[in-house]
Amino acid sequence: MIAIRNVGLFDEVQARTEELSDSLQQQTATANVLKSISRSTFDLKSVLQNLVESAGRFCDADKGTIVRERDGVFYTAETFGYSREFVDYMKSVPIAAERGSASGRALAEGRLAHIADVKADPEYTFVELPRLGDFRTALCVPMLREGIPIGVLTLTRSQVQPFTDKQIELVTTFADQASIAIENVRLFDEIQDKSRQLEEASKHKSQFLANMSHELRTPLNAILGYTELMADGAYGEPSEKMNAVLKRLESNGRHLLGLINDVLDLSKIEAGQIVLELSEYTVQDIAQTVRSTLEPLAADKKLAFKVEMTSELPPGRGDGRRLTQVLINLVGNAIKFTDAGEIAIKAEANNGSFHVSVRDTGPGISAADQAKLFQEFQQADNSITRKKGGTGLGLAISKRIIEMHGSRVWIDSTVGQGSTFSFVVPVRVERQVEAT
Amino acid sequence: MSKRILVVEDQPDNRQIIRDMLADTGYEIAEAENGEEALAAIAKARPDLILMDIQLPIMDGYAATRRIKTDPALKSIPIIAVTSYALSGEEKKAREAGCDDYVPKPYSPRQLLAKIRQYLS
Repeated sequence: MIAIRNVGLFDEVQARTEELSDSLQQQTATANVLKSISRSTFDLKSVLQNLVESAGRFCDADKGTIVRERDGVFYTAETFGYSREFVDYMKSVPIAAERGSASGRALAEGRLAHIADVKADPEYTFVELPRLGDFRTALCVPMLREGIPIGVLTLTRSQVQPFTDKQIELVTTFADQASIAIENVRLFDEIQDKSRQLEEASKHKSQFLANMSHELRTPLNAILGYTELMADGAYGEPSEKMNAVLKRLESNGRHLLGLINDVLDLSKIEAGQIVLELSEYTVQDIAQTVRSTLEPLAADKKLAFKVEMTSELPPGRGDGRRLTQVLINLVGNAIKFTDAGEIAIKAEANNGSFHVSVRDTGPGISAADQAKLFQEFQQADNSITRKKGGTGLGLAISKRIIEMHGSRVWIDSTVGQGSTFSFVVPVRVERQVEAT
Repeated sequence: MSKRILVVEDQPDNRQIIRDMLADTGYEIAEAENGEEALAAIAKARPDLILMDIQLPIMDGYAATRRIKTDPALKSIPIIAVTSYALSGEEKKAREAGCDDYVPKPYSPRQLLAKIRQYLS
């Protein structure tokens, strides 16, 4: 009694083991196919060939095809097991979505067609095909994209021998993989196409901005030129009142020029057209240039101008001209927004980086406004723009320049207690970091 | 004998500025609106200095400069490029074409005049 039960148990265990081993084999097969797909995204033909052959091997089918769609027409794309002549014939005729052929039936119905014996199937009308192609049982699984067939994976057997549920399940998985592979390639092509279009559009934009900048500069040359000639008395000595007007003309003209230059600069950075000119520089030289450029402006507002740095900073490598532009921007802002007290540039080197900061005793910037500062056309308070001038692009440009050096710029500020803008750059920058 | 300056510039207002700028300097002014006219003007009366706009119709400033600088009889005439092209590398292009100096637009008439005096003193 126990022995009989044991035998029963043994059989059951054996059956389970076989089942498990089958399902393991199935999983391994699927995994291998998936691997082959991920390895060769760009060689769709061999991926599909591999898929149909693997499906045939794992499901005991001696022949198979993959039907695909091109411009609304279905055609035989990949095959295995059929005679050369039959393959040539299949490839020469389009496949209509109709119940008369095996693949056509799967296309027409959008779901799998399993024909146990094509010769015994009353609806199968392509009676010559089974003879020429030497097949009797056919399993056709549509490859679907969003429920619409984009192809069919077909396996056939030369003997009448229907596929098991397990085999059907496996072929369905393979058909799904085939549609994923096709979809991947389609998406990849689409993305490439889009990025080509974007590149083209970006080139047009840059060219447009370069042209616009040129067109705007030409009349600006006349405006600023005549203004200066008038102020210099080329058309007679100007009155006090006229001089005041000429000064306004001049400063507004300069402001417009600043805008044009900044927009051009930013667009060039965005288009990846600004290339850092890497060479040797010293932080001392940069600070000196900034000081001699901006100290007069600080003096006009009776602000103290301090430079705090140790004398033994190492020589740097990077784009000294662009870094000077950044520091001029930061110090210029500090002077513009500070009404009393001091501006201080501080620089030190540690851990292979320069740490440069610009401290002011200005009004300070609230946390909410700090977040917007480095965006294009933003100032902490837009009403300030009219009072203090500026394009709102300087910090955005500075941020990009520092990022191209592989570093960052940030602000520490408390309302009522002044602001400190800081940036770090590696002492030695050997390679430009691409904008993201 | 007063020095002669050839102004090559297609924009009437910008020619007028240079005329006004040079009004009391005693320099003689000749004008051309494009590269071809410039070459004709040089053939008629050799200038001592050329202010060359770059973006010109018919023949641009680069082409005209190259023609002048490859002519042994003319190549010693200093050419100052005056351009509103703001792309980086524009100065390098101007120098490669043979320009002796480069002034970006918008320029300050005062500074341009100082530069002209440097070359003509």
